[in-house]
Amino acid sequence: MADIIVKTENLTKSFDELLVLKNISVQVERAENLIVFGKSGSGKSVLLKCIIGLMKPDSGNIYINNNKISDLSIKQLNTVRKDIGFLFQGAALYDSMTVRENLSFPLKRHFEEMTPKEIEDKVQYTLELVSLEEAIDKMPSELSGGMKKRIGLARSIITDPALMLYDEPTTGLDPITTKEISELILNLQKKFNMTSIVVTHDLICAEIIADRAIFLRDAHVAFEGKIEELTKSGDPFLKNFFSHEIVKV
Amino acid sequence: MNLPRHRYGRRLTYGDYLYNFFATLTGLTVFNLEFVKQAFIPPYEIAEVKKHMTELGVKTLGIVSITGFIIGLVLAMQSQPVMQRFGASDFLPGMVSLSVVRELGPVITALIFAGRVSSGIGAELGSMRVTEQIDAMEVSAINPFNYLVVTRVIATTMILPILTVYVIMIAIIGSYLAIIIVEPMSFEYFRSSVVQSVEFGDFIPGVAKTFVFGYIVGLVGSYKGFTAEGGTEGVGRASTTSVVLASLLILIFDSVLVKISLWLWPTL
Repeated sequence: MADIIVKTENLTKSFDELLVLKNISVQVERAENLIVFGKSGSGKSVLLKCIIGLMKPDSGNIYINNNKISDLSIKQLNTVRKDIGFLFQGAALYDSMTVRENLSFPLKRHFEEMTPKEIEDKVQYTLELVSLEEAIDKMPSELSGGMKKRIGLARSIITDPALMLYDEPTTGLDPITTKEISELILNLQKKFNMTSIVVTHDLICAEIIADRAIFLRDAHVAFEGKIEELTKSGDPFLKNFFSHEIVKV
Repeated sequence: MNLPRHRYGRRLTYGDYLYNFFATLTGLTVFNLEFVKQAFIPPYEIAEVKKHMTELGVKTLGIVSITGFIIGLVLAMQSQPVMQRFGASDFLPGMVSLSVVRELGPVITALIFAGRVSSGIGAELGSMRVTEQIDAMEVSAINPFNYLVVTRVIATTMILPILTVYVIMIAIIGSYLAIIIVEPMSFEYFRSSVVQSVEFGDFIPGVAKTFVFGYIVGLVGSYKGFTAEGGTEGVGRASTTSVVLASLLILIFDSVLVKISLWLWPTL
């Protein structure tokens, strides 16, 4: 039986009158890359935030490594979170800290046994992975959009998480940078055998990364399967959605 | 009278204002209780508290110095003709010093501090909230309340009394300058007059209440910033409303604390 890392059961979430997710049941296996597609406002990011515990679902269950998230105390939830990386849409770098401080921040908190030398080495190594060693002393305000995403990614993986959640990792980037970031995500996933959930509406990113995809529409999972099946679907809505993806690099 | 519009277009009613007022008070109370709880939970971010104290001290030193000097100067200038009229010029140094030590120094410093620091904390944390930096901390299993709020509130609580003592000294120097412009007075005479008039006990209620004012400044700024929503507009709102609310609470608590200090030390 496959090793299930993330499982949602009948997840439902609404904001006042607006139903965003209804009875969403999804499973993600170890080392699998799941892409979550959907129009803007279709609840993709809400799904991620429910999984990580930033939002509470109205009903339904979420399991990460067989831990039922709703049953955990904040201390237990934080223990689970230490094994999860989260890349925010805007990278969410701490803008009062340099790149070095951004990356060393989680290490200093969670790995108290690490010496300053070990922390520095780890920061350097992780920056090499994202090819941004020269940015180590820069402030986030001095970085471009693509660089911010890379640094955000570096900060997310520096603690060697087993599960990565990506919220629109390529939104707002040009097609070439999109391809670079997507390949970087894939390489890191292969190198560290990570499980990933990637929320996006970018087909370039999805085609590079995806093992499997789901499509959220009208608060439901409208499609689940391989990315090729999704893009070749006869469904008029999906056809229309993907027909706008005109750039292939 | 036309009331402003709600951000969704509906015109606000007086009921909305009343609701918002009580919602803020309730939110602030809950936030305060959360602070009390979190302040005792490790890790204790002592280095971060020191960093904030230094930053806040440096940031406000210039403005409070000027303000303190002008308070002393103007108070002495205004009082001098009146004291002369009653033949009480000799009491001028003592009168000015007592006013500055017991009331003007602490309250004016706290209000200036609120304007400079509460808005800064509100804007900084508000900006972190809307750009998901606080969420980033939370998903990294780092307690953002402990790291961002507790450290700032402790720093403002500790630094304001120090600034107040400094402002009191600057204000007294300002008052001396105002006096010697009009009539000659040796510094030794001025100093002994101040020392005879102001007892150590006069300092205690004045400086003690600035711990409360510092706490208010940090707590209100953090509350408004931490709960900000609505993008950059929300950050601006957090910044301005923190100054208004902090200043209002400082004045309300001042009247309460003066009453309490008079009740505790009736001879003062």
